[in-house]
Amino acid sequence: MTPKLKVALAVAVTCALASLPWLASATILQFSISTLLLATLAQGWNIIGGYTGYASFGNSVFFGLGSYGTAIAMVQWHLPFGVGLVFGAVLAVVFALVLGIPVLRLRGHYFAIATLALSQVMTAIVSNLEIAGRNTGLVLPLLNGDPLFYELSLALLVLATLTVFWIAHSRFGFGLIAIRENEDAAASMGINTTLYKVLAFAISGIFSALAGGIHAYWITFIDPVSAFDLSLNVKMIIMTVFGGPASILGPVVGAFVLSGISEILSSAISSVASLFFGAVIIVAVVFMPRGLADVLRRFRKTGWRYFSENVKKYRL
Amino acid sequence: MSTPLLEIRGLSKRFGGLVAVDDVNFCIAPGETLGLIGPNGAGKTTLINLISGSVTPTTGEILFEGRSITSASAFRRARQGIGRTFQIMKPFPGLSVLDNVAVGALFGTSTTAKALRVAREEAREWLELMDLSRHADQRADELGGPDRKRLELAKAIAMKPKLLLLDEVMAGLNHVEIDDVIEAIRKVRSTGISVLVIEHVIKAVQSLADRLLVLHHGKQIIEGAPDAVLADPRVIEAYLGRRRA
Amino acid sequence: MQLLAQILANGVLLGGLYALMALGLALIWGVLNIVNLAHGAFIMLGAYVGYYLFSLFHIDPFVALPVSMGALFCLGYLIQRHLLNLIARAPMFNTLLITFGLDVVLTYLAQMFFSADFRTINPGYAGANFTLFGITLPLVRVLAFLVAIVLTVALWLFLSRFRVGRAIRATAQNLGAARLYGVEPRRLYALTFGLGAALAGGAGDLYGVVSQINPYIGAALTAKSFAIAIIGGLENPLGVVVGGIFLGIVESLTALYVGPTYVDVASFGILVLVLILRPNGLLGAAA
Repeated sequence: MTPKLKVALAVAVTCALASLPWLASATILQFSISTLLLATLAQGWNIIGGYTGYASFGNSVFFGLGSYGTAIAMVQWHLPFGVGLVFGAVLAVVFALVLGIPVLRLRGHYFAIATLALSQVMTAIVSNLEIAGRNTGLVLPLLNGDPLFYELSLALLVLATLTVFWIAHSRFGFGLIAIRENEDAAASMGINTTLYKVLAFAISGIFSALAGGIHAYWITFIDPVSAFDLSLNVKMIIMTVFGGPASILGPVVGAFVLSGISEILSSAISSVASLFFGAVIIVAVVFMPRGLADVLRRFRKTGWRYFSENVKKYRL
Repeated sequence: MSTPLLEIRGLSKRFGGLVAVDDVNFCIAPGETLGLIGPNGAGKTTLINLISGSVTPTTGEILFEGRSITSASAFRRARQGIGRTFQIMKPFPGLSVLDNVAVGALFGTSTTAKALRVAREEAREWLELMDLSRHADQRADELGGPDRKRLELAKAIAMKPKLLLLDEVMAGLNHVEIDDVIEAIRKVRSTGISVLVIEHVIKAVQSLADRLLVLHHGKQIIEGAPDAVLADPRVIEAYLGRRRA
Repeated sequence: MQLLAQILANGVLLGGLYALMALGLALIWGVLNIVNLAHGAFIMLGAYVGYYLFSLFHIDPFVALPVSMGALFCLGYLIQRHLLNLIARAPMFNTLLITFGLDVVLTYLAQMFFSADFRTINPGYAGANFTLFGITLPLVRVLAFLVAIVLTVALWLFLSRFRVGRAIRATAQNLGAARLYGVEPRRLYALTFGLGAALAGGAGDLYGVVSQINPYIGAALTAKSFAIAIIGGLENPLGVVVGGIFLGIVESLTALYVGPTYVDVASFGILVLVLILRPNGLLGAAA
């Protein structure tokens, strides 16, 4: 495919997606909104986890800060939704800068654990804050406008994907990849690793926070446990890794496919959905450790051997 | 005499009770090649880590082009023109050989943001110089030993450094491969940059270096012209004597 | 003063059990470099083994302890041998994900077979207390604490005195080391993972005696085990004991003087601080 054709195709798909509210039923629209938000979250995680190689469990904190930022601005200060979104994003950036600098010095598992612990701390802090409604949370003004929420979520996903596209083709993104591949070597070659990591963390956080803000207004009710839900972070990771980390469309495809499967399963045989989810993760990690994007790239060449070669490569 | 490119003043590094580098003083002039030799554990790699900024000194000062860089971070030193290789090689394993070198061209000492395409073009030239062109599209972790050494060198020179720190780039190579690498280093040196070579293979340093510096237990025991240094009894005792034993 | 002593005693007793919970996690992490997100699920399964042995066959939970440990050892051994060994050399992230998948599956299966209801193991002496220097000590907690300490010391002896134990410790430094001790690496890996799971099983059995259980307790216990393993450091089992007791005391003090809702802020806040300031644990060598 030529680049022009690719752009044309991308625009066509986006337009088709944008026309969904006029075509689909209310249930499908709701499912689509949550899928788009999940895809945005996965795309955000892709920046820090996929490109930079830092396995963040703190992205659900960004989501929570975005939710609460928006809710506090709207409920406590009676500000418009747009201002609330910006406030939430600002909170996320502050978090990324203040805690990112010390925490991003940790590598590997240690970074993952530190962000995981931070998310527990944030949940506990928020559930003790008067302005955030303590344990009971906040109720946002009701707005019946699923088509609007849908278009907002779609726009955010497009923005996130364009950002990742830029990262994949820029000097900045090249620096992030170098950090992922070998941080000491990256520093010794002139890359300001601290700055790059913190920026990646912050950009990743902005998208998560915006998704959180939209989600809060859409769902109209937030509480600490659901807003800072760690399993949401795990979903981001699974969707990204399933689709293909450090690829431009992988996280989006991963989110669409996994949300679709889990939606179909939970409506058909509701209780087995989570079992299936767990099984998919296990099977995917063993047989396609580099995600769908890699399968699509290599399957044509190697055929079914692709799966057994993955196992051979990584087994003891 | 003009300002030295690199000046080391009273540099020491202590790890707990161990003094890895003990009051070392030396200069490297622009365009000069200094060989740093010494038995295992003499503190050679620590010295390179101190100069490149991955380790901070306990006492002492490091001047680069007359300015103190003692407390500058590793990436700043790289931007000012200090490139290095690692004894335990650190390629970007998942990137292509070409992109490994392109990182050096893209960052390194270049002050302007250049397009990825330009950096890759530059990288191709360095691969040509290092005789790696045929591997350009392979993943770096698929390269064999000698090619990895050359890649490590190509990555460093793509930064266009003024000073290149080479940490045992010849270790583990056979005679033919060593001659190849020596040839490659000569090519690099002919572009006018200064080189600090750490090496265990004496023959290699002898033919490359303008001057030699010998470290023993972190202390510098002698500095001077290669032939004179290698004939010095202290060196023979500390270094060669031990190897014969 | 009396109150403070009581709080400290509660903290220490709680901490002993915490240490046992974290011990298996630290062992698997330190030796195999696997962060086992299913660790809490293992603890949960161990608790259910104890629960069913007690409620169906009236076997005392302290007698059932070896059964819990044995069952979880087998489960852990099989999981490592036939699943995790397949991805032993994959990037660390993949192992993190696969153990998360395991956690989801095990939790689901537990909910299917055991139901979501809260259970407790309630032997006749469950409410018994005794008093020492004016401090009230619940009998089961003291027993659980003692068993936890005995198991920790046993693990330490095993790792330092036995050939297989030394092979396990050597593997932590170098993956190929198992061969030097004449053990096949695949089996050694399975053995280590099984051992970690067995410790989780034992901790679970004791946890069921002092607290309520349901299929969903795993996630929180995994998080807590992490905190302890990090605070104590991965290098030796005694560090984990110190980490566990430290956390137990901190939680008891926070609950009393700051408020029970701040317990998580304290424990995980300390975890973050330890990670940033002393990444090798409180007792480990400074970074």
